[in-house]
Amino acid sequence: MLIITRRPGEKVMLGDDIVIEVIEVSGSSVRIGIAAPRSIPVYREELWRAVKDENEAAAKAKADLPQDLPVKN
Amino acid sequence: MTTETITLESTRFGTLEIPYEAVVEFPNGLIGLGGRRYALLARSEDATFVWLHSLEDPDLALPLTNPWRFFTTYEVELADDEAERIGVDDSDDTAVYVTVRAGEVLEDFSANLRAPILIAQGAGHQVINQAPDAPVRAPLFAENAPEVAA
Repeated sequence: MLIITRRPGEKVMLGDDIVIEVIEVSGSSVRIGIAAPRSIPVYREELWRAVKDENEAAAKAKADLPQDLPVKN
Repeated sequence: MTTETITLESTRFGTLEIPYEAVVEFPNGLIGLGGRRYALLARSEDATFVWLHSLEDPDLALPLTNPWRFFTTYEVELADDEAERIGVDDSDDTAVYVTVRAGEVLEDFSANLRAPILIAQGAGHQVINQAPDAPVRAPLFAENAPEVAA
């Protein structure tokens, strides 16, 4: 992993189009700003991982799913 | 031959000829799974579960369901930048599905209400739902649901 030291107001470029800016450092929190082309989705990692886990779990389903199911109220 | 078809190879369902209208392009793939070209497969118009099947990987397929079939008050709220990214307004011709985690028994079935899949005009996007009360693992059936028939 590339590790760079930056101060508030300083930025990092990912390629030509993605800008990561350190906005503010306060105690153990860092506020960062991300400017990316609209076509690139940005996720908090823990949510991305939770969704990835659910997608992978869903993809394990076998072909013979039950049909004609009772519906929850 | 009136309808253009495309061949789908599936480890689950064998080789299928499907109508071209069933193809859904995902410009950003599914979150964490990738894949760009999928097809929507349904046994019948009224099927509880439909399959989002990869056209690139014969083994990759996810069961989906219509969330309102199980969660009548379900809502999807998109952040403005996400709505802009996928170019969907709240129009009626957007189909909404949620992925289904299947289990051995019905009580173990759940749906991911946090990351629904929106499909409009042959393009699909898995999005983050900003609405409160949208868990990634919402049980589909009540506690006393009958067991899955073998």
